[in-house]
Parts: sequence; C-alpha cells; structure tokens
Amino acid sequence: MAMRQTPLTCSGHTRPVVDLAFSGITPYGYFLISACKDGKPMLRQGDTGDWIGTFLGHKGAVWGATLNKDASKAATAAADFTAKVWDAVSGDELMTLAHKHIVKTVDFTQDSNYLLTGGQDKLLRIYDLNKPEAEPKEISGHTSGIKKALWCSEDKQILSADDKTVRLWDHATMTEVKSLNFNMSVSSMEYIPEGEILVITYGRSIAFHSAVSLDPIKSFEAPATINSASLHPEKEFLVAGGEDFKLYKYDYNSGEELESYKGHFGPIHCVRFSPDGELYASGSEDGTLRLWQTVVGKTYGLWKCVLPEEDSAELAKPKLGFPETTEEELEEMTSENSDCIYSSTPDVKA
Amino acid sequence: MQTPVTIPVPVLRLPRGPDGFSRGFAPDGRRAPLKPEVPQIQECPIAQESLESQEQRARAALRERYLRSLLAMVGRQVSFTLHEGVRVAAHFGATDLDVANFYVSQLQTPIGVQAEALLRCSDIISYTFKP
Repeated sequence: MAMRQTPLTCSGHTRPVVDLAFSGITPYGYFLISACKDGKPMLRQGDTGDWIGTFLGHKGAVWGATLNKDASKAATAAADFTAKVWDAVSGDELMTLAHKHIVKTVDFTQDSNYLLTGGQDKLLRIYDLNKPEAEPKEISGHTSGIKKALWCSEDKQILSADDKTVRLWDHATMTEVKSLNFNMSVSSMEYIPEGEILVITYGRSIAFHSAVSLDPIKSFEAPATINSASLHPEKEFLVAGGEDFKLYKYDYNSGEELESYKGHFGPIHCVRFSPDGELYASGSEDGTLRLWQTVVGKTYGLWKCVLPEEDSAELAKPKLGFPETTEEELEEMTSENSDCIYSSTPDVKA
Repeated sequence: MQTPVTIPVPVLRLPRGPDGFSRGFAPDGRRAPLKPEVPQIQECPIAQESLESQEQRARAALRERYLRSLLAMVGRQVSFTLHEGVRVAAHFGATDLDVANFYVSQLQTPIGVQAEALLRCSDIISYTFKP
C-alpha cells in the first residue's frame, strides 16, 4: 500500500510566518526557530515540532530569525529597527542591537562570535558579540533594502541579496568581490557549505549558483511564483514553495518534479530542510509551520510507520526512536485512540 | 477522477503547541544546565525528598546522555577492549533494551573479520569511538 504524506502542523503563531531556520545537530537533537509578523519568534524541537518557548521582547513584526550551530543562541531581526540576540536555552534576551531602519536578516558565524545583519537601511553590519557595546563594522553598496545576508566560505565571505542583486563580499577587506543582477525580484537565498552552493529563487525560477564564483550551475522552473527553496544536505532533492500554497519536491540531478503537496492555506514564505535531511519545514501566510517527511512512510520523529501485520498493542511499547516520549505518555496517547491519527488539524486561521 | 488508494502515514501525536500562559523554556527542560547548587531546593522544608529528587534528576540526565551517546555511535567505527587484553574494532549497530548485548558488523578479530556479531556486554571492559 502506498503511503500518503502526513504533514505535522505546528500552530501557535497568530500572523504569517515569514522566516524559519534550523540549528545544527546538537547532543539534544536539532532545533527550529520561526519568525512571525506577530513579533513573537518561537523555538521548537526540530524533529517533532514541539514548542519549547517564545522569545518575548520585540515590538514589531519579526522578519528574520536564526539559531547558532549548537542552538545555544538565537538572533532575530525585526520591524522595530532592532536585531536581538537571545539565550536559546533560557529564552532570555542577551543583546539589543539598534539599527536605523527595519532589520530583515541575521546570521551567526560558525563560532558564534559575530552576527551579520541587513535590512531596509541598505547596510550590512557585522557585530562582535563579545563586544556588544562596540560599533559594528558596516558595508555599504546595496541600492535597495537587503533581504538576506549570509556568511559563506567558512565566514571569510558574505553573500547578500537585495531586490534585484546578489552580491559577494570579502569579509577581511569589506569590499565587493562579485555581483549578480536579476530582472525579477529575488525572493530567497540559501547557502549550502558542503559544495559551496547558493540557492536563489526569483519569479518561478529556482536557481543554483556557485557560492564562490557566483557562476550559474543550473535552474528549474516551477508552476507558480516561488518564495523559498531548500536543497537537501545530500543534494538529492530540493523543495520549494510559493504563491500557489503548494510545496514542490524535485530531483536535483534531473530536475524532475517528484511530488507536490497541498496543505497550507496561504502562500508559503519559507522552506528549509532539517540538518539531517529527514524532514523539511515550511512557514506560511496562514500562520502555521508544517513539517514534511523527505521519505514518506519512514519512522522518524512523530511519524510512525505501522505495518498492517503489527498489533495496535505494539504502539504502546516505547521504542528507541522516540527518546523524548516517556513510556506513560506513549501509553496514554495510544490507549485513547487505538486507531492512528491520520490527518493534520484542519482548522487554521488564514 | 480515480485517485489511487493510499494510506496516510500514521503519527503518534501532533506537535505540542504553546501552553498559552508562559513563554516556555521550562527550567527543568532537556537543556536546563545541571547546577551543582540549587538554592530553591534548599529552602524546601522536606530536605530528604529534595535531595532524592536532585539525585533522581541527575540520574535521569546521565542516563539520557548515555542513551544519546549510543545513538551517536550508530554506524561508526568503535574500538572495544575485552578481557585478557583483547582489543577488537567494529561498526556499531545497536544494543538491546538492557544494553546487555552490542550488535556490531565487520568485527575485526584476531582470527578474521566477522560480518555480523553480538558482543556480550559482560565481556566488554570499555569501548571508545570518535564522533
């Protein structure tokens, strides 16, 4: 029997989800942060979508959010003209970095010592997180608001995207190395360190460029305007979502459209693969995040593949795959419903 | 339009949402730092119980770390020190529920390489691996 994708809906936000990011794989699993126009970014357990906490403090829509590699710190960029750095374990605000306009994007270096920010003031700023009182280094050059800024090439270079250009900067000299021009608005950018690949979306195109030379590698066209795309860590698949509310999955090598999934009730603003590639998360105008399996039917996280021969009593025994669920919790859940929960929650406020 | 009959992937439960009354980041959560001295517990009137619960928390955290170390070992090359000064290397597969046996593959023994093997925990003195 073929298995049908069951997305897991993470509710909690009350406005559109505009950005999301995963941490690296830590001894406690991996984590997910979501940026929302309600001003309250949330931290979730990456493999289950369980809510861990909400970062309270911003006074405007949060446009960008990121976690450092070991998920000990979070950074957010907001419409209140500030970027904030948070302790991702306690939820406490560590730093508020004042800007002159809406901040749209934040990114930590690998060692979490520096934070890159960018926004409507068209400046890239580099903050030394060990010296928060010091003035940040500024890089100017963009002629329209910066939408995304990322460290690349082991933090030796910076990639930034504004409305119509993607630019590569050298960190040490703070000068522009190369730029790409587009005649359509760039909607998203993702950097894949292994292989130095840059994923750029604009219009209905999903383009792949070398992050080192900015030379194009390949590009695909989707059936609708795409707002965000993500490449699988093993570079076998890519997923993309946009204005038609659907998620598309493509084979990266052949460009063949493998699957498309309906589920969201609004345009999809952001899509990202988890660091282990087992799932991808999408954030939408409908205020929800959804988690989708890369290999549909595999037992992982909250998805449990039950073969027809297995007794429903099997579900009550805790298995090694679910360290976060205690024995009692599993028995409590499964005794209530001896049938599995099939579909995700239908009610979502758009 | 005839759609093929497919079963939706079953789920254990749905992701937990915000609790609605706090900002979360539970102090006794998974990543809470294990503080050697916890002032709140010392104020507790029943001293005996608090010491026990502190110990239980520490035991639970250590147990979780051990289980996570086992998870991190899966698929990796592990070097085992057995009795009589014997050292063997193998790819770690899994342990059973009581961690009484280690299921390994490509076990390099002094008399050859065993494709699949079960190592008894009682035979193992120590093991080491690089994550």
